[in-house]
Amino acid sequence: MADSSVDVVEGCRLPVLRKNQENEDEWPLAEILSVKEIPGRKLYYVHYIDFNKRLDEWVTPDRLDMKKLQFPKKEAKTPTKNGLPGSRPSSPESEVVRVVGAVSHYYSVGNGTARRPMPNQPGRKRKQPPNCGGTDEDSQDSSDGIPSTPRMTGSLVSDRSHDDIVTRMKNIDCIELGRHRLKPWYFSPYPQELTTLPILYLCEFCLKYLKSLKCLQRHLTKCNLRHPPGNEIYRKGTISFFEIDGRKNKTYSQNLCLLAKCFLDHKTLYYDTDPFLFYVMTEYDAKGFHIVGYFSKEKESTEDYNVACILTLPPYQRRGYGKLLIEFSYELSKVEGKTGTPEKPLSDLGLLSYRSYWSQTILEILMDLKPDNGERPQITINDISEITSVKKEDVISTLQYLNLINYYKGQYILTLSEDIVEGHERAMQKRHLRIDSKCLHFTPKDWSKRGKW
Amino acid sequence: MSKLSFRARALDAAKPLPIYRNKDLPDLNDCVSINRAVPQMPTGMEKEEESEHHLQRAISAQSVFREKKENMVIPVPEAESNITYYDRLYKGELRIPKQLFHIQPLGLDNEQPDYDMDSEDEILLNRLNRKMEIKPIQFETMVDRLEKASTNQMVTITEAKLLLNEDDYLLKAVYDYWVRKRKNCRGPSLIPLIKLEKRDGSTNNDAYVAFRRRTEKMQTRKNRKNDEASYEKMLKLRREFSRTVTILEMIKRREKSKRELLHLTLEVVEKRYQMGDFTGEVLSEVTAPLAEKPVYTVPITVTNGNRHNHKAEIKIKTHKSGGLPYHGYHHVSVKDEDPFDFVRPKKKYTRREPLCRPGRPAKRQHIVNKADIKQYDFHSSGEEDYPLSPSSEPDEENDPDGTFAFRRKAGCHYLAPCLDQTSGLLWDHPELAGLDALRHRQSLTALSVPQRCVGLARRRVGRGGRVLLDRASSDLDGVLKQLDSGVFSSSFPKGLSDHQVPTQNHRTMPGSASSLTDLLSNIQALRWRFFRPRSTQGDDSGEGRTGRPSMDNRLSGGLFVHTKNSGSGGITEEQYQVHQQALAQMQKQQLAQLQLKAPPPQQHFSLPERQNTQTAGSTDCIISKTLDSAGAHFAASAVISAPGQVNNENKPDNTSVNGVVQPLGTSRPPHSTSTSQGGTGLDRSGRTPSSGGPLLPASHSTTPQSLPNHRGHGSAVSPAHHHHNARPSPSSLKLATMATSSLDRVPKVTPAISSMARDNHEPERLALNGISETTVPMEVT
Repeated sequence: MADSSVDVVEGCRLPVLRKNQENEDEWPLAEILSVKEIPGRKLYYVHYIDFNKRLDEWVTPDRLDMKKLQFPKKEAKTPTKNGLPGSRPSSPESEVVRVVGAVSHYYSVGNGTARRPMPNQPGRKRKQPPNCGGTDEDSQDSSDGIPSTPRMTGSLVSDRSHDDIVTRMKNIDCIELGRHRLKPWYFSPYPQELTTLPILYLCEFCLKYLKSLKCLQRHLTKCNLRHPPGNEIYRKGTISFFEIDGRKNKTYSQNLCLLAKCFLDHKTLYYDTDPFLFYVMTEYDAKGFHIVGYFSKEKESTEDYNVACILTLPPYQRRGYGKLLIEFSYELSKVEGKTGTPEKPLSDLGLLSYRSYWSQTILEILMDLKPDNGERPQITINDISEITSVKKEDVISTLQYLNLINYYKGQYILTLSEDIVEGHERAMQKRHLRIDSKCLHFTPKDWSKRGKW
Repeated sequence: MSKLSFRARALDAAKPLPIYRNKDLPDLNDCVSINRAVPQMPTGMEKEEESEHHLQRAISAQSVFREKKENMVIPVPEAESNITYYDRLYKGELRIPKQLFHIQPLGLDNEQPDYDMDSEDEILLNRLNRKMEIKPIQFETMVDRLEKASTNQMVTITEAKLLLNEDDYLLKAVYDYWVRKRKNCRGPSLIPLIKLEKRDGSTNNDAYVAFRRRTEKMQTRKNRKNDEASYEKMLKLRREFSRTVTILEMIKRREKSKRELLHLTLEVVEKRYQMGDFTGEVLSEVTAPLAEKPVYTVPITVTNGNRHNHKAEIKIKTHKSGGLPYHGYHHVSVKDEDPFDFVRPKKKYTRREPLCRPGRPAKRQHIVNKADIKQYDFHSSGEEDYPLSPSSEPDEENDPDGTFAFRRKAGCHYLAPCLDQTSGLLWDHPELAGLDALRHRQSLTALSVPQRCVGLARRRVGRGGRVLLDRASSDLDGVLKQLDSGVFSSSFPKGLSDHQVPTQNHRTMPGSASSLTDLLSNIQALRWRFFRPRSTQGDDSGEGRTGRPSMDNRLSGGLFVHTKNSGSGGITEEQYQVHQQALAQMQKQQLAQLQLKAPPPQQHFSLPERQNTQTAGSTDCIISKTLDSAGAHFAASAVISAPGQVNNENKPDNTSVNGVVQPLGTSRPPHSTSTSQGGTGLDRSGRTPSSGGPLLPASHSTTPQSLPNHRGHGSAVSPAHHHHNARPSPSSLKLATMATSSLDRVPKVTPAISSMARDNHEPERLALNGISETTVPMEVT
């Protein structure tokens, strides 16, 4: 193995051993994204094909199945430090050189599995002549007019600048936050000198990053925050929400974004936090208000976004906090009297969470409708949207997803199947955490009337 | 049941959807396929990620089981939550308050150092603590300040001392430690900071650069569409306001200066009044050395202008404003130690009237009291009048009057006609009737060739630049004939320049100047104007009576030629002025003839006249040597040939008087007459204006602008005088021109306008006559 490992270069594909959730051995196909040599041995950064990037990891040579090694295709034979083979090709055939700074809009390239090969220099823009190897010049991925910088609205970048070799790989190994040690999922632009540390220490309350426990200790002697530095606009039980203005409290907002970036692939930190409000959900204990998750929201959204980024920190995941965050975001929209939708693209977990929330919310309404005067209960999509503040399109997609819409005798009807009803009832029994709108003390501001956010 | 033969209508969000339970619709399954009529909504995920294994597994698991199974969950990297030292790390407890937390907008920033000590620092600290006590926070503050002061380069030890204000030993220890540590530091700072963008855009694609400012234009949002435009408008507004403020400040300063100048002027005048300096002589003596005063001349075009012995004295500067219509302008600064030094003007015999400011006569209205002295020029208007600087405004083209337009002369005072003195006509005064009156209108004039006094005459320029002498006959004619050039040339004392010629002299002067001796004495006493070619003898006079004898000599030769051909040989204005005065006097004399039958012959010409004549001698047309006698002869002959009137017949004789141009505008040399006549050589020195006034009654009256030229006036003239420059309208100027020309011939028959005007000005002119010679030098200064 040691001999053959010499041949394993970036772009190679081969099965790599990993444990699944049942702790069973699996050998999914993986792609070598990077190789590094530490004293004594080599390490390979692998991306498991068709697995989310968050599972990418450094592996030792013994986990590589060298017998099934596939070398990069011809056109990808010259990968360099900067140019890496595609990370998410659906098939090995389609892989091409991945580019730094190749910008495209989300919707425009969504269908393309093959990437246009581009020169490797970071910062090259799309102005390149299309003959630089591009085979799937798609129309919307316009070569003109789209700057290499992300759009300035929203928090989620929908371009491919994250395909940069640097951002493609996790740079922080471990983060210690309060009682928790977190394994970051994605790249985050913490100061570069801190990325080599085995553990990055964060102050649990102000989220300042520190290089050592000693520093954290020292910091805690000076930091007297015990809750996020914002206005508490909701409290019920141990759950509180704090509103932080990205303009007024830049330091905290930036620290929060840096942390969140570790777990959000498409989040961009390209621009400042000024146009955002951050709603931090905390759980109280005797030590203070511990951050559980947060969502950010544009002060003004042109596209009815009521959430830009949303995150439940990994230690709190799968416990209903995400849904609570989502519910809270819609509660805010209700107060504002608007419908809203999360900024796209959604992550896999985001999609599941939102679908789950939408499903439960809509089913809740449908199930509660009682027939009056012997008539069948009926409701319009607009009604649902208005009641829930869920944007109409999301209502429709949820109805579709739940397969509730049927065409029957010349009209659309909603049908509730047994298993849907059952499943819903079971899910609602598990859903203990709910937002109580009475506990919300929130007055929306008309940010458009201010000079700047 | 329902068939698929028709297309389902689009889903209408506004249409009520009845809700069924599946059990209520046993036949539903037949309709299921039509579901596709509802377009599939996008999930909102990146397509590639949507196909990811774990997601698909989870989705399918959900759709199958309506519930996530534990093993169908999307796997994530593990997290630990058992930090054992947590409680030690986060000390203390927080009791939850009843109130919601509310953060104060500002504050809570209690200036804690951002730097956090690490274990390496702790070692140092422990070491230092053996010698002195230093707290971690103190150390952190020091490092923090050092770091924050070292944005571009590390602070030096000296800077650190200023920065930290700590004990020297401690400071040195910490500083050295800091320097060492910083050099080993991998990051740019000991305080880890997020990489900031660089202005040059080089960091656009640096993944570690975050939170860039949104410098680019914000996306226009609903309510902010106008922001940029209004911002620009505000900027513009601000700029304009600040400019306004500046302008107002400057105006304020200017007006203050003006007021000060006015006060000073008043003071000067008072002082002068107290010391009896009515001619401004003392003043000029005092002020002359102060500075070189620029005088503008036309380049000398006269052929015989080749001898300028005194050129060294004269600085010829190119006119600053090259764009001027009078491109020939030169700028001669004369050091005027002696205001009465006529030498220089003589030299610059081609001098035009430079100080005249072009254009805009109508804009200015100056009211000046008598105390107002020549040098001072008050403009209440905001126009930029720099008395000594030539105006460079080339607005002449726009000026309807063209070259005839009145131009202010810098440093001149322009006096208004004296409206309240209607009875100013000389001949209205009985005592001035007859010879006296004549004498005020005409001057004794001498010719250089032949050298004789032609009697009372006045000069003017005829067509083609010919110089005409209008002679008047008087009782003196006989006497004048006897005037011998030798008489005055020898009899004139040299130092008479300071003679003052009060106006009264004219009036009180005996009309009975019937004898030659009387005449001469009168002349000598400055009661009579005598206009004659310059004499060489006077050249050496310290007073500068004659500055350039040699020139005169040479010039004299060309007299006739010049005058006739090109008019290139100019007569200095004072010369001309004197002549005009003499002519005026002659006229008066004529008027007075009836009453004063036998005016006593005036033996002497007034000194000023002589001076003027001499200076005027710079004109090439006069033979210097024989000047005086010639002038006398000329004057005499003129008187003879034109008894009772100014005659045109004199033309042939006039040749010596080139300067006649001046009658017209006198004040404005750039003026038509001169130029049109090709009078390149016409004298246009700065002094011209001063003499302009007295020249011709007609020209005075009708062309008020000539008046202002008399700087010398102020001292002698009544306070009632107004600046005149504002008055003349273009039309009136033209009229004046015409009137003057006609008047020249028949002074008595004047258009109504001119006569009326003349009435007003007569007394003034009288006064002017007396002081004209003083005015000349002042102009020059």
